[in-house]
Amino acid sequence: MDLPILPLNKLENRHVGLTEAIAECFCEAAFVCLDRNHTPPQDFDLLGDDFEKKAMVDWIPPDERCKRAWANKDDATRDGAYACALAATELCLGLYAVRRAETLTGADYYVGPDTNSAEDLESCFRLEVSGTDMDSYEVRRRLKNKVRQAAVGKSNLPAMAAVVGFKVKKILIEKVFETL
Amino acid sequence: MNWLEYHSDSEKFASLADSALKKGDIDEAVKYYKEAAKAEEQAISFLDLSKKRTLGITVISTASLYFKGKEFGKAELIIHKWLGSDKLPEFATNQLEIILQTIWNEKSFQKAGVEFTKGTVLISVSGGMIVLGGAPLDLIHRKVDEVKNIFYRIIEMQLKRPFRKRGAPPSEIQEQFRPWLFQAAPGSYQFAVRIQKPAQLSLFPDEEPEIEEVTGKFFEVLEASAKGSHEELIKIIPNEDYRDSFIKLTRNLAPTGKSFGKLEIKSAIDKDFLPITFMPESRKALNKTLHSSKKKSEKDIKLTEKQLSGILRALHLDKDWIEINIPEESDTVRIYQTGDVIDDIVGPMVNQNILVDVLVTPEGKYIFQDIQSDE
Repeated sequence: MDLPILPLNKLENRHVGLTEAIAECFCEAAFVCLDRNHTPPQDFDLLGDDFEKKAMVDWIPPDERCKRAWANKDDATRDGAYACALAATELCLGLYAVRRAETLTGADYYVGPDTNSAEDLESCFRLEVSGTDMDSYEVRRRLKNKVRQAAVGKSNLPAMAAVVGFKVKKILIEKVFETL
Repeated sequence: MNWLEYHSDSEKFASLADSALKKGDIDEAVKYYKEAAKAEEQAISFLDLSKKRTLGITVISTASLYFKGKEFGKAELIIHKWLGSDKLPEFATNQLEIILQTIWNEKSFQKAGVEFTKGTVLISVSGGMIVLGGAPLDLIHRKVDEVKNIFYRIIEMQLKRPFRKRGAPPSEIQEQFRPWLFQAAPGSYQFAVRIQKPAQLSLFPDEEPEIEEVTGKFFEVLEASAKGSHEELIKIIPNEDYRDSFIKLTRNLAPTGKSFGKLEIKSAIDKDFLPITFMPESRKALNKTLHSSKKKSEKDIKLTEKQLSGILRALHLDKDWIEINIPEESDTVRIYQTGDVIDDIVGPMVNQNILVDVLVTPEGKYIFQDIQSDE
């Protein structure tokens, strides 16, 4: 059976909260992170509260110039994780990045079922994303931590935590429900 | 126009600002952040105030955008206005207070003409003798000293300087990268550390990105050392001398459980950095990592191993010895062949309780193996 493809390309066409420039940037970072560990294509495990599936991840190996542009590993991992996490929420949950709002150190993305859900942020999920090149234990630990951060009450809940393990080929997603 | 249209405009400007930042065009980024902030502020005025969550997020977004656009006055104004209302949900109030504190810090740094590298390290100690907002001065003084020493080592490593075995960091590093201590909100006992950016960046023409990432590297090194993952440590710290030194410096930060029970290091603002926690067990794990990487010679294997507990009274590292005072012995005990001991590891231990691992020769002479604080 053919595996579904993780939809990393042209995210901006489906995720209205992303501009073309930002989507391209996230996608390029994802290719750099994937290429650090593997050769294309690869099967990834996508695991969530009520789903467990495999998807094929394919990418164009970045050239030297692109790798140099993403020499800052932290930036590449963070942005690459956004691309993979958004593609996974789209594939597994039918949720898309519909809005973006600034924070002191970056931006939060809000996901919802379609553009109509973006008329305000009352029912959108804030997406908390983290990426790592470490082992499965670290991927699970990060997810636990992200869920805890989202649930401590200082966050704008409801939220969704996603952790991308580039090396171990896993994307974990968990919803964090709480009322304000 | 409505909230959605203004907010969409703001998103577009903010995305353009991000793209400009990635290209290193700070002026362009600041210009777009200002535009984004204006649009986001307009969006608030069209919002149904009963939509508390959207209101909170939009106000935070506006204040953050004004902050990034260097419009500190406007950011403050909007924060005060909304903090003074009863319309915001609790998460928004908390985040706006953090933004306000950051603005005040940035304003005072600007006034003093001081710039810092990215990131703030928040260190908290708890348990044992630590009370809410208070801790023994000598303990905190030692922890501050140990953190400072780790930072200097990281800066030297980032600047690709040869590993320093003796003495303090070179004077130009001490002058150009001054660590600052900040008070932090009390909760157990906390302090914050930031690294001042070199006033003369031209002294380090090729290393500006590395300088900016000093705090990030601090977290990376400490996290890997705390985990004791040999493979990861080699990846992050390829130089063996630096690697060994970081594990020892990290071990000294960890509690023994006698005067305090937990030390936590985290980023003051960036939630992507997970807190790194040190408990008494962490010290044992770090000891194991250190001992497993140490190779014993044939000759050493025949000698008896012993651990001495006492107060470090004297050291002469050029002559290769240290002296400790052991409570049950009248004279100080001299320990030889301290070759591997490094000033910034042993320095904060003078006149403090320490544990020294030694080998004892048949003649009763002590040969140095390892030293750690025993506070």
